[in-house]
Amino acid sequence: MQAVSPNRFSARLLIERSAATLIIGLVFFWLAINLVKSPSQFFQSSIIGISNGVLYALIALGYTLVYGIIELINFAHGDLFMLGGLFAATFIGVWFGQESPSNTGYAVFILCLIATMGFCATINVAIERFAYRRLRKAPKLAPLITAVGVSFMIQFVGIRWNGSGPKTWNSVLPDGEFVISTVHIPYTTVISFLVTIPLLVLMTFIVAKTRRGKAMRATAQDADAARLMGINVNKTISFTFALGGALAGAAGLLFQQTQGVTNYNLGYQLGLIAFTSAVLGGIGNLSGAVLGAILIGLIQGLNDGLPIGLGQQWSQTVVFTILILLMVFKPTGLLGKPMVEKV
Amino acid sequence: MTKSVLKADNISVKFGGLVAVDDVSFDIPTGGVVSLIGPNGAGKTTFFNVLTGLYKPTSGVVTFDEKNITAKPPHKIAQAGVARTFQNIRLFGLMTAEENVMVAMHSHLKSGIISTVFGTKRQRSEEEESKKTARELLDFVGIGNTADQFARNLSYGDQRRLEVARALALRPKVLLLDEPTAGMNPQESQTFVDFVYRVRDKKGVSILLIEHDMSVVMKVSERITVLDRGQKIAEGTPAEIKSNKQVIEAYLGKSSESDK
Amino acid sequence: MKIPAIKLGRKSTKSRKLKSFNQTKWVRGFSVTAVAIWIFYAFIVDMLPYGLYDFFQKWFPATTVNESLVWVICALGLNIVVGYAGLLDLGFVAFWAIGGYCAGWFMSDFFQQTSIHFASTAAPEQRGIHLSFWAVLFIGALVCAVFGVIIGAPTLRLKSDYLALVTLGFGEIIPQIFYNGENIGGFNLSNGSKGISPVDNVGLFGKTLGPFDLDWKYLIFVCLAALMVFISLRIRSGRLGRAWLAIREDELAASMMGVPLMKSKLAAYAVGAFSGGIGGVAFATHVNGVFADRFNFSISIILLAMVVLGGMGNVWGVIVGALVIAWVNSTGLPAFGDTVNNILGTNINFPSYNFLLFGGILIFMMLYKREGLLPESRLKQILHETDDSTSNIGGH
Repeated sequence: MQAVSPNRFSARLLIERSAATLIIGLVFFWLAINLVKSPSQFFQSSIIGISNGVLYALIALGYTLVYGIIELINFAHGDLFMLGGLFAATFIGVWFGQESPSNTGYAVFILCLIATMGFCATINVAIERFAYRRLRKAPKLAPLITAVGVSFMIQFVGIRWNGSGPKTWNSVLPDGEFVISTVHIPYTTVISFLVTIPLLVLMTFIVAKTRRGKAMRATAQDADAARLMGINVNKTISFTFALGGALAGAAGLLFQQTQGVTNYNLGYQLGLIAFTSAVLGGIGNLSGAVLGAILIGLIQGLNDGLPIGLGQQWSQTVVFTILILLMVFKPTGLLGKPMVEKV
Repeated sequence: MTKSVLKADNISVKFGGLVAVDDVSFDIPTGGVVSLIGPNGAGKTTFFNVLTGLYKPTSGVVTFDEKNITAKPPHKIAQAGVARTFQNIRLFGLMTAEENVMVAMHSHLKSGIISTVFGTKRQRSEEEESKKTARELLDFVGIGNTADQFARNLSYGDQRRLEVARALALRPKVLLLDEPTAGMNPQESQTFVDFVYRVRDKKGVSILLIEHDMSVVMKVSERITVLDRGQKIAEGTPAEIKSNKQVIEAYLGKSSESDK
Repeated sequence: MKIPAIKLGRKSTKSRKLKSFNQTKWVRGFSVTAVAIWIFYAFIVDMLPYGLYDFFQKWFPATTVNESLVWVICALGLNIVVGYAGLLDLGFVAFWAIGGYCAGWFMSDFFQQTSIHFASTAAPEQRGIHLSFWAVLFIGALVCAVFGVIIGAPTLRLKSDYLALVTLGFGEIIPQIFYNGENIGGFNLSNGSKGISPVDNVGLFGKTLGPFDLDWKYLIFVCLAALMVFISLRIRSGRLGRAWLAIREDELAASMMGVPLMKSKLAAYAVGAFSGGIGGVAFATHVNGVFADRFNFSISIILLAMVVLGGMGNVWGVIVGALVIAWVNSTGLPAFGDTVNNILGTNINFPSYNFLLFGGILIFMMLYKREGLLPESRLKQILHETDDSTSNIGGH
């Protein structure tokens, strides 16, 4: 494997840069055409896209946190999100019997947020403890395969809990929407933002300012050195998984309440989209994950909703193509730093 | 005048702001046995990696056999005739000693998938030939009786020898040895010096060593080059280097400073 | 292509060539078992008394046997990519799909615009492209090999986790293209979610074998599996196989020893995909069609589970793993469920437990028996390498 040669002008670099410019140019062109053709649809799709993106951000953070600290793509992370949705549905709909907006409903919602986050955090910590910890030093193939296995087991739980098809639920969040000229912004979207943004801010605070966060960043850079500094690496990793799990749980609750549906395979689908977002932003980079998620959400929303677009049936293909192109041409993503490998 | 089989002109390697190798020119005379030494962090291994194609130099040219090989992919450089061993032994532990050597013959064999699947006469005789050659090489380095053992199970000394046998299977013109006597006791190191000359004489390769063990370096080298902090500070015969003030300072002075 | 009539002759040639690996035991064992099974299903089963007959119909129906063989063929392909070369391919279903669609394109009435017949069992008046099954096998395998190279090319410089995701991406994109393929720029590529059905019957020495001619189909499938075993073992014994093993262990050192990484990895993808293509075409004739909604991610994972369970890199282990898992998935689990439900009077949906099964297998094997049930001896050491403090390399 060759080290990165800085500032070396070569044909390859030229091709890459021009290809990237071309692609970005085409994308802008496409956006411009649609904006001109039908501005209200453009903005509507954008709103939908961004509100999805914000959910993806919560999930993407989990991926990026875990990858940053143990260089493992936690395949099962998306399924944790799904599980969170199931838990939330059961909590609100079955245990508390809340089926429509009301003050009790809102209270239960908030309670559920905390409960779901705790639930998913616990599960994630348990998974790390029992499935991944032993394999930390094993060749990469082993934990990857294990993660796939865990994903399948969680989906199994999903099937037993929720059946093999989708289930619909009534939400406790208020119906109705804001209307700005022709663009409709549902209350649920606003609530999504109201929940997500504080969580993201809290996350950033934890990672940047607290001791635990510092320990995380140290371990991510060099686990052995961190250990020598007295950092309990195992606890730090567990904490990371807990954080990631909590965020996934929050996303699960939000999705279940805003979309009103649960399905055992949601995790797989949305998980991969969220992971793409993390890669797009630069894996290991927290703000990158959020940025990437919003971008992907936008692209997806626009692709699905715009008059000139491929439509929803090609959604997966579009996202995966982006993933592949990224990993081949710019694996460090938008905000990541290129790493020089010393042999 | 002996020609140089491998020449490096004005090689610089910068990693971001760190200058690992600073405008070093160096050559390996044909048929020579030369060494590259220097305190830790002097840039020896980085320079080494440039010669073998692992790193692209920020500037400078590497010429092998009069052909420019700068920044060519490692396997092409290996195929051209530049072979190396590793500081931390990188044998294929789960392949037998014989197979390890045969892997290095990959570029000299010609059978493709089709002829391998059908087991054509040519493919089969090629395999026989390469097995024979592999065993010969193992005998040459002195571990002929370990041919069918997994490389992982060999003793440390045997593993070092296997690395050399594997490198020789490339039929190289130049052999680069990265700290070959690390972990050896003085007796083994002495045997190794004789071994190096045997390789040069019998196999007709020019040899470059990176070494830390001064007694080995003084005994084995026809010429020594000294790097310090990425720069070449001296080059000459062992006697000359031994008495070179700058060299002595570089080594002794280092002990009272922090590394790098 | 490969005609069963000289099967015996070819097997003994194989024995000769394989003797040097001490594989003869396995070859003999499998050949004997394969023939025995054929004799059983072709002649004996119909003559069994009702109780026994029902037992076999319930637990080991002939269709399951044939379907399991298709899984074996595909698992052997994945074994080359993952087991030999160490490249974690999570999108192998793409090749199964492409192979299937090759059958759909070249062995059916699909392309109404033209009428090309070649040694086909279809009636001459039928429009569409109708090539002989054997030709389509070959074409499907080659097309897949090309796609193997296409899919592999972007992964060549990636680390194992990124590599896995790129292959996963392709494993999603390609089936989705087929699923949406009814109208791609006005062109009907795949009939979309309807799929292409029926496909022509298989022609064998003037016989036509329909989807219910299970006995002869069985022989054909066994021979195809044997072919892939043969190819796997032969390549492994030559320089490419050594290159793959070296790459699997230490890519950098391999390249410094003159092994061309790109070419070798692409070769692994190509040969693996070749096998997938064969499996895909065979499967299409088994289910008499190619249906877009059958190709999903779980197939790639099931194949991975087969390779992992059987021992990555060990063809015989992979065969056993594939047969076991395929059987459990299609017949074993439902039949077991029925029995238990009948005995206990419960109504548990056993087949839905397959996710638990596959997930469990993967996790269990990785934690406790990474080398598989019938491990390739080398692999046992590589996968526990860092657990073992008595490692000798480097003199630590």
